[in-house]
Amino acid sequence: MSVVVRPSGRLSPTGRVMVPALGVLVLLVVVLLAGIGTGIIPAIVIWIGGVLLANIAIVRFVVAATAVLLFTIPTAFVIIFMELKVIAFMNLRIGPNRVGPWGTLASVVHGLKVLSKEDFTPTGADVSVFTLAPVVTFVASVMAFMVLPFGPGLFGADLNVGMLYFFAVGGLGVVGLLMAGWSSFNKYSLLGGLRSAAQMVSYEIPLTLSVVGVIMLAGTMSLNGIVQAQSGSFLDWFVVRQPLAFLVFFIAATAEANRTPFDLTEADSEIVAGFATEYSGMRFGFFFFAEYVNVFLLSGLAVVLFFGGWTAPVPWPWPVHILVAPGELGLGLLAIVILAPLVGSTLLALPLWMLRSSWPFWRAWILGLVLFTLLAIGAIGIYLLINLDALLGIVWFFAKSYVFVFTFVWMRATLPRIRIDQLMGLAWKWLLPASLVNLFLTALAILVVHP
Amino acid sequence: MTGLWYVLGFLIAGVSFVFLTIGLAWLISHRNRGDRHKGLPYESGIDTFGDTWGRFGLSFYIYALLFVAFDIEVVFVYLWAIVFRDVLVGGLVSMAVFVGILMLGLAYAWRKGVLRWR
Repeated sequence: MSVVVRPSGRLSPTGRVMVPALGVLVLLVVVLLAGIGTGIIPAIVIWIGGVLLANIAIVRFVVAATAVLLFTIPTAFVIIFMELKVIAFMNLRIGPNRVGPWGTLASVVHGLKVLSKEDFTPTGADVSVFTLAPVVTFVASVMAFMVLPFGPGLFGADLNVGMLYFFAVGGLGVVGLLMAGWSSFNKYSLLGGLRSAAQMVSYEIPLTLSVVGVIMLAGTMSLNGIVQAQSGSFLDWFVVRQPLAFLVFFIAATAEANRTPFDLTEADSEIVAGFATEYSGMRFGFFFFAEYVNVFLLSGLAVVLFFGGWTAPVPWPWPVHILVAPGELGLGLLAIVILAPLVGSTLLALPLWMLRSSWPFWRAWILGLVLFTLLAIGAIGIYLLINLDALLGIVWFFAKSYVFVFTFVWMRATLPRIRIDQLMGLAWKWLLPASLVNLFLTALAILVVHP
Repeated sequence: MTGLWYVLGFLIAGVSFVFLTIGLAWLISHRNRGDRHKGLPYESGIDTFGDTWGRFGLSFYIYALLFVAFDIEVVFVYLWAIVFRDVLVGGLVSMAVFVGILMLGLAYAWRKGVLRWR
């Protein structure tokens, strides 16, 4: 029998990390206190604040661009997860359930996997065009995001030609697909790229023409202006006055985003994988990244144009603004901040302590503190939601947009794919005339009602 | 004017984001040169033959032409839609003539069977 004796003077693995970390922490605190005491750190903070305030336009741009770019990543992950899980439930399967709670991290793992895969360029390919193609496709989506209003005052830039810009930049994605098809040095890729281009180009026309009615009603092309023109109740939403336009728009948007039943460009039953045949690794990943971003983008646009954007379906029925300016409370604020958790936790802990007589009081009190924290977070959240229009607007915008994202996924689980000749015929023979009819009907209605 | 700067800035931000990600992937992914066959185009297992960047169906060009015609129309229609409340009847008539001419072109293409996919 051997007895394992830990050599004295050595630390456990945890200790080896913790002791230096504690030292660094103490050093940092000392430096921080010294800096505040001598007035160096406040001076630096004020200086940085001054610089930021002086360049507020640049700061706003950097924040907006970073927010939009970082926002695309979780959006793609959420939509991929919805595709896996929602379609699984619709097929009476379980779907991903290994990574993370209910498999929620499955799409993140997919993303990391694509990132670490070999990114190969075929021998005959035109290397520069081959590399630029996914860039063009993705950047087109990101640039279209710039004008989408997420909430009141929350947008990249409010262009007065917002809608024209949206369709112009969004249409550039076609160039990326053509570049991918041409540069791959593969007959399938070339044909697939040309087919995608023909499809997207054909559906671009009904997509852009169907929203003319909305422009006429709103009298502006700025997406913010269009949302403001629909404020009020859900009866003011343009879908009520433009049902035909919405139908045409939704069908064309499905085709633009390459979703089932119009996903001929990358369907299994079509020419291999279309334009993406020769792609692998992250360059392949960016095509599909762009596709999922496009799904959200078009859902968001449908919400902005036809479903009132960030406005609530019914105006809030009671007066809302509970405004307590924290500064007015003075010392009372300090008392509230210190006393409220203590008193609140004790009050919440008392019933627990009485019910569980075997518990020591501190245990019940810790549980009370946890409960209090949750309640406080909830209360602050509701307070912010009621008082900040931007937050409420964002919640409504995302709720409505994800209804459309869900519909896209739902269609994929339900509808059969159509043939390519039916696809092109639908765009030119049905949707284009329908959108023109809608245009003239709207014009006549405005003439009659609004002379 | 700020709008223009935003467009330019988003372009630069987006392009750099994509290239940074591709660069990161290049750093962490494994690479293997393989042999001659690895770089061949995938055409269902058969070695490629003939000219890849050769000729392809004429219908693609015709769709592109139709697209250009109608896309230009869209630009005009958008501007017309904004000012419609100022021009009213006259605007409606002139737009009807404009769209009518384009629809004649579409009808001709339809009659000629161009819209049928071959």
